[in-house]
Amino acid sequence: MSSVAAQEGRRTSVAPAQAPVSSDRRRLSRKHREWLAAGLFLAPDVLGLLVFVAVPMVLSIGLSFFQVSGFGSYEWIGLGNYRRMMDDPLFWDSMKITGEYVVILVPVLFCVSLGLGLLVKQKLPGVGVYRTALFLPYVISLVVVGVLWKFLLDEQTGVVNRAMRAAGFDGESWLGSPSLALGCVIAVMVWVMMGYYMIIFLAGLQEIPKEFYEAAKLDGAGPWTTFRTITWPLLRPTSFFVLLMSTVAAITGGLDLIFVLTNGGPANGTSLAIFYIYQQAFGFGEYGYASAMGSFLVLIMVAVSAVIFKFTRGGRFDDGE
Amino acid sequence: MLQHGNDAERPARPTGTPAGIPGTHGHGLGSGTSRRRFLTATAGAGAALASPALLTGCGTAQAKGGNLQFWNFYGPQRSPDPAINAQSKWFTDMVAKWNASHRQQIDLVYLPQPTYLNGFKLPSAFATGEGPDVFLLSPGDFLRYYNGGVLADLTPYMEKEAVDDFGTALDSRKVDGKVYALPMEVEPLAMFYAQDVWEKAGLSEADIPTTWDQMLDIGDKLRTRTRAGLVFETNPGYYQNFTWYPWMWQGGGDVLDQQGNVAFDSKATRQALAFWQDAVRHGITPRTLPAAGDVISGFKGGNVALWQQGIWNVSSFKAFAPKYKYGVFKLPLPPGGRYVTTLGGWSFCANAQGRNPEAAAEFCVWALGSMKDDSIDRMVDWCVGAKSDVAPRASALERGAAKGGYDSAIMKKFKDEIFPGGRAEPRYPPVVYKAISDAIQGTMLAGRGVAGEAERAARSIAAYTKSYKGASLI
Repeated sequence: MSSVAAQEGRRTSVAPAQAPVSSDRRRLSRKHREWLAAGLFLAPDVLGLLVFVAVPMVLSIGLSFFQVSGFGSYEWIGLGNYRRMMDDPLFWDSMKITGEYVVILVPVLFCVSLGLGLLVKQKLPGVGVYRTALFLPYVISLVVVGVLWKFLLDEQTGVVNRAMRAAGFDGESWLGSPSLALGCVIAVMVWVMMGYYMIIFLAGLQEIPKEFYEAAKLDGAGPWTTFRTITWPLLRPTSFFVLLMSTVAAITGGLDLIFVLTNGGPANGTSLAIFYIYQQAFGFGEYGYASAMGSFLVLIMVAVSAVIFKFTRGGRFDDGE
Repeated sequence: MLQHGNDAERPARPTGTPAGIPGTHGHGLGSGTSRRRFLTATAGAGAALASPALLTGCGTAQAKGGNLQFWNFYGPQRSPDPAINAQSKWFTDMVAKWNASHRQQIDLVYLPQPTYLNGFKLPSAFATGEGPDVFLLSPGDFLRYYNGGVLADLTPYMEKEAVDDFGTALDSRKVDGKVYALPMEVEPLAMFYAQDVWEKAGLSEADIPTTWDQMLDIGDKLRTRTRAGLVFETNPGYYQNFTWYPWMWQGGGDVLDQQGNVAFDSKATRQALAFWQDAVRHGITPRTLPAAGDVISGFKGGNVALWQQGIWNVSSFKAFAPKYKYGVFKLPLPPGGRYVTTLGGWSFCANAQGRNPEAAAEFCVWALGSMKDDSIDRMVDWCVGAKSDVAPRASALERGAAKGGYDSAIMKKFKDEIFPGGRAEPRYPPVVYKAISDAIQGTMLAGRGVAGEAERAARSIAAYTKSYKGASLI
């Protein structure tokens, strides 16, 4: 359909709708009607966010000022839970482990996902199958993933150690050694999440006009130059999104996996802050204390997000678009 | 709305104190305070005050009436495991029998074990005033629930003869002489071993170790690249502590002495920590559980020679590997040590803040704690029929034995050799548990010094006990 025909079509389809306008509707200006439509479209999301995120968050902050027994008893203790948090070495250990986890997981996940995105963008035979296969781990429940990897990494009979022994190496206690367990959790997390971020990168890569690549090719640019001067700069909004989302997910997620894979062990070696908070709340009934730590973690997350926004300019291009 | 429906009967608990909230006292709308700031402060304080009320929901189970809820992790369910089906049937039959003869009806609610044991459902239910009327409780959780005021006193519904029939099995479920939970089973720990592995290595019954050193030697002899010589629990948690306590007790050590003073930093504690540490350091004990913790698969697959496990596995072997040959023996001793093992087991409890606490308590006693034949036989059916456990009541143990429940060589050994001299699982609260757990994990898997870890844990327990308010920890 030509653009003129399209405009005609639009006119003819709009015109009959305008004919039986009621007197009430006439009173609303076009701007107001647009506001109303926007409001109605946004309302379910806003309501959901309000009920399931904002209100619980505010309540949780409120709860952090109470000593909670877990059986209906609440005692106001002001900043008591926050003072306790400052003096709790286990909490700070868990924050340190979370820091290591985030600092390793996010860049590795970013690079692997970007690499995979670039790979599956190529016109390869059966590329759809690869894309699906790489995305599959993401749709599996983290509990199932945990059980699966627990068997694969088993000390005596796990596939990984069997392969190592077959190659002439000694097997390792992947999940039983404090120096290896966190690395294993990160590796499993990368395996789970890479498919999701690969799809995001793929969408970003497909947005880059082909003409740019054709021009670069005519200028004699090699693959690295093409990536450095075209792909990387034009992926900025996508990269920003992946960086932000994976950082937030790393700080607040992974609980199910830790729960199944290591239960925070060995020797608290995989006790991420989120796991420690969960343990205090639901294992020990320390809801007030857990809320205080949770609120603190949210603060850290906001600060980290602000830093990411600052240094990436929110994923915007230099001209502000 | 902080205290739901129980204010009249119970002393008021400490609640939120509006006067203590900064911003609500002494701050008028003076010249220095804008309307926006005032509104923001008021909203914040309001949210803080509203939190407890909103998070406890709008009514308690007590106010709602209706059928009582019995939360458990056995039934009703259908499973490929015949033992699990038998356990589920025991529960459904029991509740059906109660419902047929009582006006107050009970609904049996099944929660999968991972959800019940380590999950958030039970704690969340109690935190929001929606706790079940009858539920299963382990000794490790007893104090937390007692101190939370949700355990109903069962003593008024029990005959003295029945209390005596339970004997020491009630010790960790009593406060000030009153019974707050009724054990349904006693589960002692022992060493399980693979007979084929044992025989192939040229070992006989005479080689069964009686000391720690002997056991380490045998574990070392039996281990291969794909077979663990000697397995101890490695996952951090209440269960690991439960399996470690007897090694400490055997040397005369304890967490708290008879007067309630912290006694954890002792030679016996350091010795027990070093025992597990050595077993791991020398590669005799794996750092993670074989077969992802599946005992039957571990033994059947030839991946385990010796494993510290509980009596409950006897019924699992019977169901899943009836032809598999295994043996059990008492936990070996340290030099100069005295035999002791831990006795685990779950209990029935009634919610003191539930829909009908009297009926719930009456149900618990009717089910397990009455002197009527029906009640005693029900425990016999559970301990030697649906499961393989030692019965916590003398009368049920006697009847179970007469019924042939302890005739097999393994069960006889559990009843006559392993169970006597056992000690009930302690009821330490989370902070104490966590301090001990960190010491075990730190020494066993991170190779930290036993003296430092014992001392650190003792300090942590001492700091906690100083400010602890509640029922006796021992």
